[in-house]
Formats: sequence, C-alpha cells, structure tokens
Amino acid sequence: MAKSETVGEHLRRHGISRRAFLKFCAVTASAMALPPGAGKAIAETLAKQQRPNVIWLSFQECTGCTESLTRSYAPTIEKLIFDVISLDYHETLMAASGEAAEAAREAIIKDYPGKYVVMIDGSVPVEGGYATIGGKSMLDICKHTVANAAAVVCVGTCSSFGGIPYANPNPTGAKSISMLMDEGLVPRKPLINVSGCPPIPVVITGVVVHYLSYGVPELDHVGRPKAFFGQTIHDRCYRRPFYDQGKFAKTFDDEGARNGWCLFELGCKGPTTYNSCATTKWNDGTSFPIESGHGCLGCSEPNFWDKGSFYAPLATSESGGVYGLGAAAAAGVAVGVGAAIVSRNHQKKLQEGK
Amino acid sequence: MSGDTQSTIDLKLPGLSVDKPDVRYDQQGDMTDPERLSQAMRNFAKDFGYVAAVHMDSCVHCGMCAEACHFYVSTGDAKYTPIHKIEPFKQAYKREAGPFAFFYRLFNLKPAVTADELRQWQELLYDSCTVCGRCSLICPMGIDIAGLVSHARHAMFKAGLVPHELHAVAQRAETEGSPLGATPKVFAERVEWMGDEHDIDIALDKEQADVLLTMSSIEIMKYPNAIAAAAKVMEYLGLSYTFSTEGYEATNFGLLSGNADWQRDMSLKLINAAIKCKAKYLILPECGHAYSALRWAGATMYGKPLPFKVRHISEFLAEQVSNGKLKLKGDLHKSVTFHDPCQVTRRGGVIEGPRTVLKALGVDLREMKENRGTNWCCGGGGGVVTIHRADQIRYKAFELKMRQVEDTGAEMLVTTCSNCRQTFDDGQAHFNWDKTAQSMLELVVENLVEA
Amino acid sequence: MTVLDFARGPGLQWSLVIFVIGVLWRLVGIFFLKHTRDLNEPRNGGVAPWLGGLKVVFTRMWPRKEFRARTAYSETLSYIFHFGLAIVVFFGAFHITFIKSLFGVSWGNLPNSVIYFTAVITLATMVALLIRRLTHPVLKVLSNFDDYFSWAVVAAPLVTGLMATAHLGGPYETLLGVHILSFEVLLVWFPFGKLMHAFLVAPSRAAAGYVFTRKGAST
Repeated sequence: MAKSETVGEHLRRHGISRRAFLKFCAVTASAMALPPGAGKAIAETLAKQQRPNVIWLSFQECTGCTESLTRSYAPTIEKLIFDVISLDYHETLMAASGEAAEAAREAIIKDYPGKYVVMIDGSVPVEGGYATIGGKSMLDICKHTVANAAAVVCVGTCSSFGGIPYANPNPTGAKSISMLMDEGLVPRKPLINVSGCPPIPVVITGVVVHYLSYGVPELDHVGRPKAFFGQTIHDRCYRRPFYDQGKFAKTFDDEGARNGWCLFELGCKGPTTYNSCATTKWNDGTSFPIESGHGCLGCSEPNFWDKGSFYAPLATSESGGVYGLGAAAAAGVAVGVGAAIVSRNHQKKLQEGK
Repeated sequence: MSGDTQSTIDLKLPGLSVDKPDVRYDQQGDMTDPERLSQAMRNFAKDFGYVAAVHMDSCVHCGMCAEACHFYVSTGDAKYTPIHKIEPFKQAYKREAGPFAFFYRLFNLKPAVTADELRQWQELLYDSCTVCGRCSLICPMGIDIAGLVSHARHAMFKAGLVPHELHAVAQRAETEGSPLGATPKVFAERVEWMGDEHDIDIALDKEQADVLLTMSSIEIMKYPNAIAAAAKVMEYLGLSYTFSTEGYEATNFGLLSGNADWQRDMSLKLINAAIKCKAKYLILPECGHAYSALRWAGATMYGKPLPFKVRHISEFLAEQVSNGKLKLKGDLHKSVTFHDPCQVTRRGGVIEGPRTVLKALGVDLREMKENRGTNWCCGGGGGVVTIHRADQIRYKAFELKMRQVEDTGAEMLVTTCSNCRQTFDDGQAHFNWDKTAQSMLELVVENLVEA
Repeated sequence: MTVLDFARGPGLQWSLVIFVIGVLWRLVGIFFLKHTRDLNEPRNGGVAPWLGGLKVVFTRMWPRKEFRARTAYSETLSYIFHFGLAIVVFFGAFHITFIKSLFGVSWGNLPNSVIYFTAVITLATMVALLIRRLTHPVLKVLSNFDDYFSWAVVAAPLVTGLMATAHLGGPYETLLGVHILSFEVLLVWFPFGKLMHAFLVAPSRAAAGYVFTRKGAST
C-alpha cells in the first residue's frame, strides 16, 4: 500500500538518479513527437506529483500486453514507469495473491475515489459464468472498479476492441470496455484505447506519462491517442519506395522477399493499420514485422481477426471465389436462354396474329 | 382515307416521277392512335433475329453515324442522325424482344412511345433516309443502321404511317404491277416501240430462254432506250433471252415502303416468270434497290434457294467484258467519273465491275475522292425522290454530290442506276448544273465493236 | 462492419455475381433469338463470311480514311481514354492482385507513379468527352440517362482511386472502401447499360461483317 510520497521523493528513495529520470521523460516525450523541452517539463510536473495509484485489471487476456511492457530489451527505461506510478494491483506482477490481493484493490477503490487510474487488458465476457476471480464475475469487478476511477486506459486490442475472445464465434460474449460503457454495463469514464496485439512498450508508458502530465491526449475516432496511432504503418514503412515502384514479394522466399520488397501481395495490412510500429519499432527499435519479412496483421485495428486471411492482400476479397462465380455464370446462361425463349414465343404469336 | 392512288406522272418533268399532291395524306387507314402505336411496336419486334437484336443492343451514342449521313452533313441538323431514326423502335425492341424485356415491361423502364412521336418519326425514316448504308459503314460498333431502318419501315407501314406519295406508288405497284403506270400492257407497248425505234426484234414472253431480262418502271417510262440496250447486249452475246409481261418490274416498292407482303408479291412475280421460262439467269436492270430486293432477299421471299442466278446488269457486263465476249471499242477518250449506286456497290457488292467496264471503254477514269464503298449517296434512293416534302433536303444533299463530281474535273458522269439518273436529272434542273448522270449500259451499247 | 469490410466482403461477392449473371443473361438472351439462314446465293470467289466477320472486328477499330476528318477528334480522345483506363486497371499492381485472386493469373505491373499519371490523363479525356457530349448537337439529340450515368460510374473509381492514393478526403481505409464500392457499382450497372459494349463490340461487328462479306458488300 502506497504512502503519499511524490514521484520525485520515491525516485530519490530508490536511488534512481535525476539524470536517469530525465532521460526516461525525454525518450517518452520524443516518442510522442512533443516539442523539445517537453521532456524537462514532464519531468518537473511528474516529480511534484503524488505517485498516482494504478489498478491493473486483467480479464480475458493472454498476458501478452504485460509481457510486452516487462520484457523489453532495455528494461531500465520502461521499468521506470513502475517508479512513476504506484501499481497497486496487478495479478501477474504483484507479490500478494488470493484474498490479500483482492483486499489491496478494494482499499485503493475505497481510499482514493476519483483519483486512481484503471488499466485494463483483456476483454470482458458478458455471458455468465465464463470468467470469475475470487467468486466475482469479471463484469462485476470491472463495473465496481471503474465506478470510482479517474480514467480508464485499455491496454491491448482485447480490452480496446474485443480482440481474440471477441473474434468469431465469440462463445463467451466478450466485449471491449468501450462497448460495455456504450451499453451502460459499466460507468462511463475518460477512456484511452492503447490497442495493439500487444501494444509497443513505449506506447503504453508514453500514454500513461502523457495522461499524468497533460491529461487525456488527443484521440482518434476509436479512442486511440493520435500521437501514436495517427498514421498508418504504410505511410511510415521503410519499404514504401518498393510499393511505389511496384516491386512486390510474391512468396516468402522469392527474390523479392529476399531483397526486402513490399509485402502487399502477401497480405500486409499496413495501409489500413494505425500504429507506431514502423517508426518506433519493437525491442528497443530492433525491428518490426515487416522488417522481419512478414506483412502487418493489422493487430491494432478493431476486428482484425475477422477480416479474412492475413495473407489475402487488401485488393482481394474473401468471397466465394471462382466456384461461386461459376454458379452465377450457369444461372446467367439459364436465365438468358429463358428470356430468349420467351421472346421467340412472343414473336411467333405476333407473326401468327398478323 | 387512302390518298389518291391514281396519281399521274408527268414525263416532261425532269426527274420527278410523281406529282406533288395538293393535299397530303401521310396516314393510311382508320386506326385509332393506340391501335397504330400497338401495330408499330409489335410489328417491329416481330421479325427480329439475333443479328438485328445485337445491333439494337450495341449503340453507344457516339454520334459518328451522323458524320457519314449526307442529310446531316449537308444540313447540319442533328435530327437526321441515323441511329436517332431508330429511337422509338429501340424502345420497342427493349420492351418486346430484348433480353430484359420482362423488366422493361414490368417497371415501364422506357418511356412509352406515342403515336405523335411516330408521326414525327415518319419524316426521319422516309424523307431523310435513302437506306444508303453509309452510316452502317462508319459505325464503330458495326451496327447496320440502314438495315434497322428497313425493319422500322415494316412497323410504320402496319401503323399506316407511310408518306403520301410513297404509299401511293407502292399501292399502284401492288395493284397494277408498276408504281408509275407501266402496266403489263404499257410495258408490252413500249417493248414494241423500242423494237421499232432501234430496229431489233426484242424477245417478249418466250416460252423458254436462258436469260430473263427485267426492267425498272423508271427506265420503262422515262429512259425506255434501256429496254433496247439490254436486248442488244443479249443479241450481241448470242444469248437466248426474253422479257416477260408476267414478271418484268424490277423495282420493289413493297421493300421501299415497308410492306413485307407486297415485297414478296413483287419479287415472286419475277421469280415465277424466271422459273416459268426455265431461265438460268435473271438479270436486274440499272436500278439500285432492285438488286437488294432480288439478289439479296429474293430467296428469302421464295422460301428456298432460287433455281437460277441473279445478276445486276453492270456485273453481268463486267463479266462479259472480262471473258472477252463483250468487245468494246475502247476509244471513248473522255474524262469520266463514276457514281456508285449505294444498293449496287456499298450494299450490294458490285464494286469493281463498273471499273472493269469503264476501263474497257477507254475512258480517262477519275475516281471521286470518296469512291466505291464510301461514295456519297445521290440522295434520291430509298423512295426519297418520290416524297416532295423531302425535296429541299434532297437538294441540299445533292450539293455534296455536285461538289464531289466537280472536284474530279471530269467532263462526264456515269452511273448504273436509273433512280440515281433520275435524281441527277432533277438536280441538274434545279441547280442549272451542266452535268447529269449517263447510263453505263447505254454507253456500252453505243461502243460495241461491230460483230 | 466498416465500409472497407463490406466492400471487400459481401459487396464484392454480390456485385461480381450480379455482373456475371447480367452479362451472360444479356448475351445469351440476344444470341438465342431466332436466326433465319440466308438462302440467297453468296458472292462467288470472296472471302469466307466467318473470316470476313472476324476481320471486321478489327478493321472497324479505326474509321476509313474518307471518314477520318470528321471523326478524328472524338475517336482519338476515346482511344486515349480506353487505353488509359486499361493501363490503370490491368497494370496497376493492386488491380492485378485482385484479378489474380479471382482467376489465378497475373502479370507484371507498372510503377505506381505511371498509374497515377495515366489515371489523371484518363480522367482529363473523360471530362473532355463529357463536355463534347453536352455541347455537340448530334450528341445532345442522342444522349440519355444511360450515357451520363455510365460516364459517372466509370469516372467514380478513377476519382476515388486517386483520392485514396492521395489520402484526400478522409481516413485511408474509408477512401479505399469507397473506391472498391464504386467499382462494385460499376460491376452492377455494367450488364444493363451501354458499358456492355465491351462484350457486344465483337459480336456486333462480326455479325455485320459476316452478312456483308457474304454479299461481297463493303465492310
């Protein structure tokens, strides 16, 4: 349970140098394309603040979002977030378990109403009985926890848009947090969707830092921060010149693939996917899927699991294909013959009548 | 009430075959407007085969057909656009015989044609169309617009909407055997007259002959020398031939006015006469649509292939010149240009024949800039020359012809169709032009090497 | 379901089905009508009529020299338009991908910049032809709903395609969805209007060519 110490006091107590903290804030600011000097401004603001309490709720999720955040290559930078915030409840990371863990969550809800931030990963089943924690349904936990929250940050595509559990056939009736708010099942609060399957680590931390420094960032029409989700992969992809020149890899092992040509024809959804992968990349800027030779899956977009094959290019459909058209052709011929026969009979009648 | 069917002709008038009526009766029969409309719409779709259908369905409204039509080009009036003539009948096709006909009727997708519109269209289908086929030649979709006009005329006839003079002469032809009063009796008289004039024995009504000769009423009544000329050629070649008072009239005003039954009657007269005298050849005279009617539709009328060959006199002459049997003096050293009759050349396929003959005559042949298949129509065919309402636009179209001829610098103009001749005569009179068209047949006969 | 999902999914499926049914219905509905055999003696010594018919399919591609002066402008513009559209449709990589997904065949593509340039030229000629249709006396007499609607239905994919590539007028995925939808409108309209001339031009020319060649008449 956190005491009321400021972020700055907490950092000093843990021996984290001011320089390291400044570096963290600068990296975060530049990731959001904030102007120079913003890093310093953020550092000063955060240092004076109380370490905000954060409850992290995990619903129907794979824990990939947490893994993304904690398994980064240079853990010092990302891990700093855990010094900036007071992560009071996180099922994977916290030391406590069982009823002690539940009690910790309840304490924050009771002691800091309107002040704590809820971070959620995983989607919520609204059918009864599919997922309970400590005897309570995930929906109830969500409702109860969000009721007193200052803001909600959805981490990952599952909580932002439904993700894997929401995909066809959605047996658990899974819904995203915004769907729950729209349907009145969960109280409406300021909501930020940080989608991605998983999201990029610095995107997660950047959003949190922005919220703490400036409030809710500018969001797009599906609630994602425009700073990280304002442009498509396609528009920032380093392979774009090959797209423009019309050089495409046709298989994963042909000359084009080996020469790093555009992966559009292998199903890349870059043109319709908004995320920072092409600029910020993964593993501390090591690479991102396209650079590694596989097309973008569109994992930060709603319903990306249900938009047909990952390998079907955007310029194709997942329709019935040739067999469907064969049937249509047969139908067309049949109707055409029918029409002609009707006409011929009509003509014969006219001829006989006159 | 039908118009005056006994219109007389004035032989002194240069080229006018029919009197200008004092009162026009451009409608026939007692039908109400809805009846007329119904007749028109249904009868147009009746004859359709897939060739006409694909043409009806293929127009893309590019407007090129207008650029080929002498009536549009000479007047600049867009209503003469050839495919526009077919407009009400496109609707008929789509409603009655097209592949989506059911939906056109169900949802009334094409605006309903009115009888008034059909009356408006009469002028477009008859006064300003000679069925010359130049439009069919330019169309990038390959639509035989001229052929569709002929189809449309069937509908107009059934609806009782044929122009006065054309209907009158067609009726005359059906009842008397000739549009211009050349009844069998009159024909026989003229044969005898020509025989006397030219001092030859012209075979008439022989029981058996290899060749049946035919004539057009225009020649019989206005250019009767043609009778003698044809006979002289046969004599020269030593062929057994005859004219027949049972089948001599080569013009077909059933075809021109759009009455398919009359067309059949008129063709069958010739066909039966040829069969009766066991002819091997039926020779059509210097006339355009006579060739279209019998050469390219005769067997259709008869219902089976004809048991004899059909030839136009011009292609027959060319044949005989080529095989050396018809010997021409070859010293006619004049500059000559040739007018291709639309139905013989462009529509009929007799293209090089006249050139063969003209070369054998020894003339200095100066082809028009547009020659052979692309030659301009004289403007009088298809029945247009009979319709006085059309005189003004016919004269405008004729200006094109005069310019064409003048541009060649030739001193003489030759053709091989008597309706073209008559149109040129009329044009010459109207414009005080110094030229008119000479008959190729008569020229040949004047230049035969003595046997 | 977003605009793009619909356009790539059921929209494309159904518009293709309607296209195939409509085209075949119209063609078969025409060619199954009666045909009376020509009993008249054909012209001797000429080209075989079927061969003549086939020749006419090609010879009508350009007007005879006597007609050229009066038709060159519109004929030239029309060809630029048709070729331009063909280049964009058949040599744009994204379009080849689409054709490959349906028929399994593909071929080399041209660079996108060439496609964009060609699309602009094509659109410009379309505008010029539209102006002609609106102002020329013959075309004013002839033109109807079909002419203008077919023009719009062909211009729309060009315009929306350019807008999508230029990211003009909305988020990319919406523009792409609208572009694909505009193509679907074209597919659905195709069999019922004058766009069908794409399939009718050959049989129509060939039919006339056959009949005329049989007579030895001018083709």
